[in-house]
Amino acid sequence: MTVTELTPSTAPPRPPVAARRRARGPASRRQLTAWLFLAPALIVLVAFTLYPMAQAVYLSLTNYNLIAAAEWIGLDNYAELVSDPAFWNAFWNTVLYAVVVTPVTVVLALAFAVMLNQAFFGRTFVRTAIFLPFIVSLGIIAIAWSFLLDPNIGLLSYWLGQIGIVTEQGWLSDPRFAMPAVMMVGVWKFVGFYMVIYLAGLQSIPSELYEAAKIDGTTPWQRFRHVTLPLLSNQTLLVSVLALIATLQAFDQIYVMTRGGPYFKTETLVMLIYREGFQELRFGYASAISFVLLIFVFALSMIQYGWLRRRAVTY
Amino acid sequence: MKTQHAPHRRSRHAIRVATAGAGILALALTACAGQGTPRDTDGGGPDGKISLTFWNGFTGPDGPALEKVIADFNASQDDVEVKAEIMPWDTLYQKVLTAVAGNDGPDIIAMSAARMPQFARQGMFLPVDDYYDDPDHDSAALAEAAIGASVFDGKNYGVPVNYTPMMMYYNKDLFEAAGLDPEAPPTTWDEFAAMVPKLTVDENGDGKPEQYATALGDHETVPVFPALLWGTGGGVVSDDGTTSMLGDAASLDALNFWVDLVKDKKASPIGLSGADADKLFLTGKAATEIVGPWMTTGFDEAGLNFGIAPPPAGPNSDAVLADVVSMGLPAGTDDATKEAAYSFFAYWNSQEGQTTWADGSGFPPNRADVADKVTASPYPAIFGAADVAARAKILLAGVAAGGTITETIFWPSLQKALNGDGTVDSIFPAASEQVQAELDK
Repeated sequence: MTVTELTPSTAPPRPPVAARRRARGPASRRQLTAWLFLAPALIVLVAFTLYPMAQAVYLSLTNYNLIAAAEWIGLDNYAELVSDPAFWNAFWNTVLYAVVVTPVTVVLALAFAVMLNQAFFGRTFVRTAIFLPFIVSLGIIAIAWSFLLDPNIGLLSYWLGQIGIVTEQGWLSDPRFAMPAVMMVGVWKFVGFYMVIYLAGLQSIPSELYEAAKIDGTTPWQRFRHVTLPLLSNQTLLVSVLALIATLQAFDQIYVMTRGGPYFKTETLVMLIYREGFQELRFGYASAISFVLLIFVFALSMIQYGWLRRRAVTY
Repeated sequence: MKTQHAPHRRSRHAIRVATAGAGILALALTACAGQGTPRDTDGGGPDGKISLTFWNGFTGPDGPALEKVIADFNASQDDVEVKAEIMPWDTLYQKVLTAVAGNDGPDIIAMSAARMPQFARQGMFLPVDDYYDDPDHDSAALAEAAIGASVFDGKNYGVPVNYTPMMMYYNKDLFEAAGLDPEAPPTTWDEFAAMVPKLTVDENGDGKPEQYATALGDHETVPVFPALLWGTGGGVVSDDGTTSMLGDAASLDALNFWVDLVKDKKASPIGLSGADADKLFLTGKAATEIVGPWMTTGFDEAGLNFGIAPPPAGPNSDAVLADVVSMGLPAGTDDATKEAAYSFFAYWNSQEGQTTWADGSGFPPNRADVADKVTASPYPAIFGAADVAARAKILLAGVAAGGTITETIFWPSLQKALNGDGTVDSIFPAASEQVQAELDK
C-alpha cells in the first residue's frame, strides 16, 4: 500500500462524468415541472403586463397616434410634461385625492371592523352591505351615484335640499363639491374590502390578551391602542399600501361622474392619460405620463412599505 | 423498491407534464382563436352582397328615420346591404380611432364635419373627392355649405348626412303664463334679455329658480354658446382658421353679455350638458332652447305646445349656428367597398332618400329641389327656410384643432366664468393664447 491510499482525502470522491449528469436529474425534473406549471400564468403575465409595459415605455419616446407609424422623438414627451400645466393640475389633484381618501378609507375600515367584530342582531347583513360595493363594478356604482346626485331627479339632492343644502348646478358640476363627491364614491367602494382584511386580523388576536388588559384596569380606548392596533400592524401595512396604490390610479368614477370636470378640477393623472391618449390622440405623450405615474406610485409604495414595516409588530 | 416504483413515478410524472403542456396549448389556442372574425366587406357574403357597417350617433328621436332610409336603400338593390350601428356621439369619437387602427372598424363613419379634420390629419379618412366628380351622384343639387363643411387641407373627406341650422324652440304656454305674447318670440339679444326676468321664475325664493328662461349647455353639447360670439362680430377662430379671436373686444363683449345673463340674471342653469338642456325644455322647466331639428319628434311626443323661431340676432350679426354631419370612409378602404359605399351615399342624397329622411326626422333636406315633396312633417320647411339658411354658419370648419379648442379650452373657460372663478376679461384672453397655440401646432 502506498502512503496516498492510506491518507484519507478531505474532498469527497468525484464521481465519473456520466454519473454527475444523472445526479442532477431529479432536481432538474422538479424544476422543469415547476416551470411548466408556472408557464400559463407567466405567459399571461408577460403577454398582458410586461410586454405592454415595455411597449408603453417605447411609445413614450415616440409621437405615436395609432394610425401613422411611430416616429422617434426621444425625451421630448417628458420635457413637455414637465412644463405642461395640465400635467401638474392632474398631479396635484391625484395627490389631494390620495391624501384624503387613503387615510379616510383605512380609518373607516378599521372602525367598521372593530364595531362589527362584536355580535349583534343583523351583523352579517351590515357586513355584507358594507362589502357589497367592492364586488360591483366601479363604473356601475358611479352611474348609480350620478343619478343620486342629479340636481333634478336625484334622491340625495332632494333630501339635502329639504335641509337647505342646495347647489344650483348639481353636485357634480359644482367646482366645490365635484372632488368630494368622487372621493366619497372612492371610499365607499373600497372600505368593505379593507374592513374584511381587518376583521380577519381582529379575529386572530387572542382574547386572553384582552382579558389580561381588562384585569390590569385599562379603558377600552387603551386596550384598542395598546393591544388591538399593534397586533393589526401587518393588516394596516397591507391595507395602507393597497389603498395608496389604488387611490393614485383613481379613474373609473371620475370618468363616469365628472369626466374630469368642471374645468379639470377632478382630473387625475389617469384621467389625463385617457384624455391625452383617446381624445387628443397623442398616445406617445399619454405613455410618457403613465410611465411617470408608474415611477411615482412605485417610489411612494416603497417608502410607505419601508416606513410601516419598521413599525410592524410581531408576537 | 426503487425499481418497483420507478415506472409508476415516471408515468405519473409524465402524465402531469402532459397535462400541463396540454393546458398551455389549449390556453394559447383559445387566445388566438378569440381574435374576432375578420370583417367580410369585399363580397364575402353568401349571396355575393357587400355588407357595410355604418357608425353614427343618431341616438335621438331621429334614429328611426335614419334606419328607414337605410332599409329603403337595402330593399332597392341587391348588391349592397348597409347596417347602422348607433351609439352616443362621444362614444363614437372615442371608439372610432382605435377601431379603425385595429382593422375592426366600420365601413362608413358619420361624424360632425367640424371634427373630421382632426381625424383626417391623423390619416384616418380616405378623401372622397372622386364621389363629387362623378356626375351620376347628382352632387350639384346639394347645399354648397354642406359639401364644403368636410373639406380639410384641400381635400374633401365627407359626404353630407345632414345640414341644419339651430333654431330657438320656445314654449308658448310658458310665454303666456309669463304675460308675454306667445306668437312674438324674441328676435334680438336685447329683447331676450328683457324677457328673462319674466321667464325665469323663482317662486319660493330659495335662490334656485323652478323655471328658467332658456337652457344653455356648457359641455357635451352642440356648440351654441361659442356661436353666440358671432352676434357682436366676434368668434372663436377667424374664418380662415389661422387666428384666434377669443380675446378680441367683440368676443369679450358677447361673452360678458351672456355670462352675466346666465350667472347673475339666472337666465339658464349652469353646468348643463346638451342632454340636460333638452330634458329641461322637454319637462317644461325652460321657456326656450336653441337646438337642432332632431328634438322635434321628442317634443311633439311630450305634448309640448312649442313654436320655432330663428335664434335672437346679436347687435352686429344675425349668424346662426349650422350643424353638419358628414359620412366618410376609413383610409385603406378597398375599391369594391368604396363603390358600394358611394352607391349608399348617392341614395342618401337622392330625392327619395332626402324626402324620406326629412319627413321622418324633421331635418331640412340636403337638397332644395325636394322642398315641396316633404309633406309629412312641417319642420323641414321651417329649418330649411331660405332666410334662415342665409344666416347659417358653420363653427370651426376645416380647423383640425377644432375639437380640442371647443372641448379643452372653450368649455372649461366658460365653466370657470359661469362659476365665478374669475371674470370673462381675465379668463378668455388667456384662453385665446391657448387657442392660438393649438392653431399654430
